[in-house]
Amino acid sequence: MMFPGRNFITTLFFIFDFIAAAAQTRVTGTVKNSNKEVLPGATVRVKGSDKGVYGDSTGSFLLSLSGKGKRILQISSAGYQSSELKVELNDFDIHLDITLKDSAETLGDIVVISVGSFEASDKAKGAALTPIDAVTVAGNGGDIANALRFLPGAQQIGEQDGLFVRGGSSQETKQFVDGALLPSPNFASVPALPQPARLNPFLFKGILFSSGGYSALYGEALSSALILESVDLPDKSSAALHVFPSNVGVGFQELAKDNKSSYGINASYGNEQLYNKIVPQIPDYFKGPEYFSGDGNFRIRTSETGMLKFYCNYSYSNVGMKNPNIDSSSLISSFEQKNTNLYSNLSYRESLGNNWKIDAAIAYNYYRDEMANQLLNEENQQRFLTVYPYSQQNFDSTTNSNFAQARVVLRKQLVHNQAIRFGAEYFYSNEQLSSSYTSGDTISKLHDNLVAVFAEGDIYITKNMAAKLGARAEHSTLLNQSNLAPRISLAYRFPGGGQINMAYGIFYQIPEITYLALNNDLNFTSATHYIINYQKKEGNRFFRMEAYYKTYNRLVTTYPAYSNGGNGYARGVELFWRDKRTFKGVDYWITYTYLDTKRKWLDYPYSIQPSFSTPHTLSVVVKKYFQDINLSANMAYTLATGRPYYDIQTPVYGSPFISDQGTTNIYNVMNVSFAYLFSIFPKWKNKEFSGIGLGCNNIFGTKEVFGYYYSYNGMNKMSVTPPATRSFYIGLFMSFGIDRRNDFINENL
Amino acid sequence: MLCFSLQAQDQEMQATVTKLDQANTVKEYQQLAGDFEAIAQKQKTGWLPYYYSAFCNAKIGWIYQNDGEKIEPFADKAEKDIRKAESMLDTAIQKKELSEVYCVLSMVNRSRVFVNPMSYGSQYGPVATRYTQLALKTNPDNPRANYLEGWTKYSTPKLWGGDKKKAKELLELAKQQLESALPAGINPHWGKKEVDELLNELK
Repeated sequence: MMFPGRNFITTLFFIFDFIAAAAQTRVTGTVKNSNKEVLPGATVRVKGSDKGVYGDSTGSFLLSLSGKGKRILQISSAGYQSSELKVELNDFDIHLDITLKDSAETLGDIVVISVGSFEASDKAKGAALTPIDAVTVAGNGGDIANALRFLPGAQQIGEQDGLFVRGGSSQETKQFVDGALLPSPNFASVPALPQPARLNPFLFKGILFSSGGYSALYGEALSSALILESVDLPDKSSAALHVFPSNVGVGFQELAKDNKSSYGINASYGNEQLYNKIVPQIPDYFKGPEYFSGDGNFRIRTSETGMLKFYCNYSYSNVGMKNPNIDSSSLISSFEQKNTNLYSNLSYRESLGNNWKIDAAIAYNYYRDEMANQLLNEENQQRFLTVYPYSQQNFDSTTNSNFAQARVVLRKQLVHNQAIRFGAEYFYSNEQLSSSYTSGDTISKLHDNLVAVFAEGDIYITKNMAAKLGARAEHSTLLNQSNLAPRISLAYRFPGGGQINMAYGIFYQIPEITYLALNNDLNFTSATHYIINYQKKEGNRFFRMEAYYKTYNRLVTTYPAYSNGGNGYARGVELFWRDKRTFKGVDYWITYTYLDTKRKWLDYPYSIQPSFSTPHTLSVVVKKYFQDINLSANMAYTLATGRPYYDIQTPVYGSPFISDQGTTNIYNVMNVSFAYLFSIFPKWKNKEFSGIGLGCNNIFGTKEVFGYYYSYNGMNKMSVTPPATRSFYIGLFMSFGIDRRNDFINENL
Repeated sequence: MLCFSLQAQDQEMQATVTKLDQANTVKEYQQLAGDFEAIAQKQKTGWLPYYYSAFCNAKIGWIYQNDGEKIEPFADKAEKDIRKAESMLDTAIQKKELSEVYCVLSMVNRSRVFVNPMSYGSQYGPVATRYTQLALKTNPDNPRANYLEGWTKYSTPKLWGGDKKKAKELLELAKQQLESALPAGINPHWGKKEVDELLNELK
């Protein structure tokens, strides 16, 4: 035996080998998603080695691991978040049941704020709304608020612009642009004649329409907030023009060569005289209506993450119209209004590092409105009568208002998509109302400094549950009052993808200036919202159901004196269904709004259903693009129950009482619009895109009555109707783009 | 069940590609994407497994055309893998391979348009089109590039350059190129099914 030890060593090796082989741990398991559906082909890998297996078609895997001690297993499958698991190898078989989270199921997609709100974003996926979807609703006349009337919670109020949400008046909805309040989104209101919006709806890349329960970052709106986010840099330089019989406009956007800044100017002028000759109108317009709007902007990308934006809009309107006098058939009421408005907004956002972000904005608005009411005889001569009510029907009034706002919000992003946001804002307003009647002049001046501080946190509770807690405190120097408004919302996501949301919040709003002018001892009006909703998005379809209850407190009443003596409630259920899938190329949505509301408010003698509310509203919006003929067709239809109307008489001695009341007929209106797209110079290098747009509101020509005006003595009533049964538009728009997108793409390949 | 092993990589690759030729459903493509990814991690240097893994995920994005909410994770995964494949090519020499990579990049960007054409169309649509053009420029004889170009011509509105007649020509060209191609083994050879499907719709 020359090498007696050799065999021994070999044997030892064999033994060790045997031991090593025996010291294998069989790890078996199944990989499923949170719906308990098996995930075939998931990869199971040992971290730090190339040892791994994948699951079979039943989601099961078998992994034999040698050695002892701790190992980390990585389990992954496309479309799911990878997960890591620690296992201890000790010769015993291990069985693992592994659940992988859907990538889309991360907390980031539990959008807490989705309660009470509709978001139209340029990041919308599947059947969520995009800003274009919102602004192409037929018949909105270029006003986002009109388009949003086809979403749940809003009422169709034909005689006024603005949003009437869940039993609230249009003054209880506020619009915000890049965080700052937009004090007068529409041209100055004219009786029974909805006015166009001042801002072009295509200015916005994000539209969040909250019909209640909105974030503590916003305030001063009892019912609803419309939160608008303006576009950043355009993707190309372009020029555009449009020619409609009653409106013409031109504009351009210039994008710097380095793609880091842009500026632009737009102007448009509209005069309805010609249109009103072709389509007869009920009021006799002796001026316009005429509208001018001009805007300028610049946008600068200050760094990788920084953006500075400036937007300024000047607008002017002039309307003069005559209507039969309600109190006397031999007299005519003449109304004339000139309105000037200047709005500017400078906003800045930047990442400060360490997951901190800042958003800041300053805004300024100047508003001047001159109104003249005259009593005319049939020969158009002004008549001055000393008898009431005629003594009150000759007057001039001027409103001058200055509004400024500064606002800073800081936010920090934390793990699990948690975040905290806090900030402060300051509102300055200065208003002067002067009226001159034959009996004398009145002037009232008011100014207010309102300071608000707010904080909000997004909190992770479990992977399927999140909360948003916020609070807002405000102080007004004019009211000499402070308030504290808590806001809470909760979201829970079901394994199948459905989500349930709840919200509670208190909302405050300063009484309108016209009431404060008469009693500046008023307090904040307030509303409390309770909302619950369920929603599910899947396969390019979107379903949402929401129920709410709200109470109004300290609403302004005008009798016996101006006070906070009012209150009210609103409750309702709303359904929304959008489907982009069932009918190829057709996108449609259906909205149903049920509303039960009553309030004691202004001169209402007791709690009644306000005239801007109706119990049932059903809307259908359909859009289709006919690709082969370059035609886009849009239809929007609403069927709503009638609205109440009242004649509230206020005797000199005694309390107001309802001397007459009723309900209007059903509202049944279909709007259609078409856009035919073409190119006049298709061979040109900078090919232009042109389109002919045409549309008709109330195509069936149903006779709509929105309510009634009553004479002073209640003996005569006159219906409030649209100025014409149908309204039409047709026009040409052209866009010339110097398309730099290809340069951009090439740079980024 | 497949176990990683250092041997028979080519057979494994061939077997997986053969499976891919039969695949139809999201589940199958998902499993195959995982298979290719595992092979890629073993091979470390080969561009093909990454290419195929990216292709499978891009394909899933196309299958989910009417289910926008689901697409993004697949597009992200595909983009990551195809970039890896691209980085493994010598772009000066491997023109044919590069052309295939551009095709998948085009498909990935197109699948991002499907997420919601209204919001992502203007951002990713031109990028997808550009990659198809690059794929054709790099290798005019790539039937998959012709197929994608045909698809674009078929699906784009006329005003934005769509052309059904041209689409048909391109698809027929792609079909011819596919039919006359030599057996490709594990190299990219997909397309017959896709081309026939689209030609059927054009009839």
